[in-house]
Amino acid sequence: MPAGLSMGGTLGAPSSPSHPFRPSRYVPVTAATAFLVGSTTLFLCFTCPWLSGVYSSMVPLYNALVFLFTLSNFCMATFMDPGIFPRAEEDEDKEDDFRAPLYKTVDVRGIQVRMKWCSTCRFYRPPRCSHCSVCDNCVEDFDHHCPWVNNCIGRRNYRHFFLFLLSLTVHIMGVFGFGLVYILHHKHQLYTPQSVVTIAVMCVAGLFLVPVAGLTGFHMVLVVRGRTTNEQVTGKFKGGVNPFTRGCSKNVSHVLCSSQAPRYLGRLQKSLSLQIQPPFLRPTPQDETDKGHDNGIQQVLYSKSSLELMESQSTDAEPPPPPPPDLRYPGLAHTHTEESSLLHEAPPTPSLNKYRLARSSPARNHTAIAHSYKMTRGDGCVSDPSLSGRVGGGGGAGPGGLGGASTLGGRSYPSFTDTLLQSAGASRSSSLRSAYTAHNALGPLLSEGTTTSTSYKSLANQTRNGSLSYDSLLTPSESPEFESAAPELSPPKPHPPPGPLSPTPLSKEPPPILGYSSPFLSAQQREGSLQARPTARLSSSSHRALYRATSPPPVQAPPHSPRARSLGSPPPGSALLSVLGQSVSYTGGAAAQRHRPTAGGGTQVAK
Amino acid sequence: MATEFHNLQELRHSASLANKVFIQRDYTEGTICRFQTKFPSELESRIERSLFEDTVKTLNNYYAEAEKIGGQSYLEGCLACTTAYLIFLCMETRYEKVLKKISRYIQEQNEKIYAPRGLLITDPIDRGMRVIEISIYEDRGSSGSSSGSSSTTSSSGR
Repeated sequence: MPAGLSMGGTLGAPSSPSHPFRPSRYVPVTAATAFLVGSTTLFLCFTCPWLSGVYSSMVPLYNALVFLFTLSNFCMATFMDPGIFPRAEEDEDKEDDFRAPLYKTVDVRGIQVRMKWCSTCRFYRPPRCSHCSVCDNCVEDFDHHCPWVNNCIGRRNYRHFFLFLLSLTVHIMGVFGFGLVYILHHKHQLYTPQSVVTIAVMCVAGLFLVPVAGLTGFHMVLVVRGRTTNEQVTGKFKGGVNPFTRGCSKNVSHVLCSSQAPRYLGRLQKSLSLQIQPPFLRPTPQDETDKGHDNGIQQVLYSKSSLELMESQSTDAEPPPPPPPDLRYPGLAHTHTEESSLLHEAPPTPSLNKYRLARSSPARNHTAIAHSYKMTRGDGCVSDPSLSGRVGGGGGAGPGGLGGASTLGGRSYPSFTDTLLQSAGASRSSSLRSAYTAHNALGPLLSEGTTTSTSYKSLANQTRNGSLSYDSLLTPSESPEFESAAPELSPPKPHPPPGPLSPTPLSKEPPPILGYSSPFLSAQQREGSLQARPTARLSSSSHRALYRATSPPPVQAPPHSPRARSLGSPPPGSALLSVLGQSVSYTGGAAAQRHRPTAGGGTQVAK
Repeated sequence: MATEFHNLQELRHSASLANKVFIQRDYTEGTICRFQTKFPSELESRIERSLFEDTVKTLNNYYAEAEKIGGQSYLEGCLACTTAYLIFLCMETRYEKVLKKISRYIQEQNEKIYAPRGLLITDPIDRGMRVIEISIYEDRGSSGSSSGSSSTTSSSGR
């Protein structure tokens, strides 16, 4: 195989899992190859000698060149990697899990384009990328999966496919035309082998001429308009504007004249050894802006290395001042407390409240740190029977549940989110996600500057606000609702709880495993509280639309409970059963929403 | 093992991977390869903003150069067509050439700027050109909780 070519999907183990060998996949490509090569060979052997004798030897030469051109483009279209994205590594999607939105919106030349989460490949599909269900890969600039070449047509091989179609049309027309000339000159010698073969070749050519020419014309229109087959067939830009078009001539030159795009799979990895040794340079202090709302993020960096430091500090630290109000998510304080309540034996984890830890009381701080640290170390191992039973399950979940949980555990560098997730415990993925999102909403901007791939979440925030984003979920999840949701729990906390106080009351309460779900749970139990939070209603209705969730979460809860239960381990404690069960069911529903589309996988053309 | 490690700690500080930051693609101009130059907050205490932005802008320029449709890419395409694409057996495409330049640039940046600050940039091509992955390392010298390594491979085979 020439350099630069690779069988689609065969190079690069992580990209495609083992497929069962399906011979039916190879029938069209074998037939196409047979017809192309066989018919042309017969034509060259039987028809061309007479033509070259009567007209010119340029005739067979021309036909041979066109045939070679067609064949080379056919081979390139067949064997070239179309632009398969390698699967994202685990650490990349640690934040894009169940609770992350299914879609992220980006602005492409002023037009909002949705990027869908690919649960197989574990990233948000770039614009124009689609997941091919036949190849089980996300392909860049996905056009379609062509059975005649048994390969996806994507960014890298679209040019070859297009040229193949063009040259095949020309070739078929040439073969048919020259065969017709031969037949017209041998009208009375139609029973000679040459004539019979010529007629057979003409029949094959004529048979394929109409569909191939039609397809060629279709692709010529697509190239001129700057669209892919996928976009055309799914009607993405019907009545709308195509943000990817650059104008007719630029579109054509982009297809035909751009440099061959590189493949992502099967690249030689150069392993360079680099010494990364402390002490590390740090930027000068004026570069570090102490943004109150970003403390959560900054704390991440210190969370691991300064854990011990904090532990030592905790014994002699003064009660810290209350945290500055969170302007974006007023309920965050409560959310935190909800999260902290998850650790029914300890205050919030450092990751979750890394910001708060510095400000919460020493004792709480210490236990929180110890607890979360223990959790962090667990790395999937259960250190705490009741809660960590789920923590371990969630944190260290292998490929199970809804698939996303697997990415949570076993990280080599548990980030604050991991710690949070692990400490949040509860049913596997869904609750973890909710805890995570609750946590995220916290750092306001935790959502802004989180260590995640949502680039700096300027993109994600749009979607998150409009969709079933965690912040919209969180705004309802404020303490009063939460408190009322669990009447058997300790009395409700004061409204915006000051930092030092917040962990305490909640720590007495059995943790509602799903912080974000509790608001809906509480909505079910106490609708009055929701009146006080109009924003919650609005946000929940907005994300309801996107997620196609049934309007009131409580209504949704029952049908999803069986699915939710299958996802996570049963909640502990009978006292919490109703609370947890319902919350689990809700998240299971939401999580199922995210997973339902993936169950179908990508189709050949659509999406 | 624990005592061994303890001795190592006494000998030198070690760094361990603490976090990863992902710089996403900037799609505002379509599907051309550009990365966002927004400075991630995780790096605020680790590297100067200007250095980071310079790195990303230079990478963006390299990618723009690779994807430029001009005379060279057109001739390359014609040559490939006329040789039935066999020319790719001997010749590197323009894009690959630029990718090599990018790889050298990233290595140089890592050596000069990022590694001294406990950061490491992963070549985006290893991530399908979807993200620039910046690994943040922490000084684990004072803790004995997890194993640390003083040297790390920037891109180990998968």
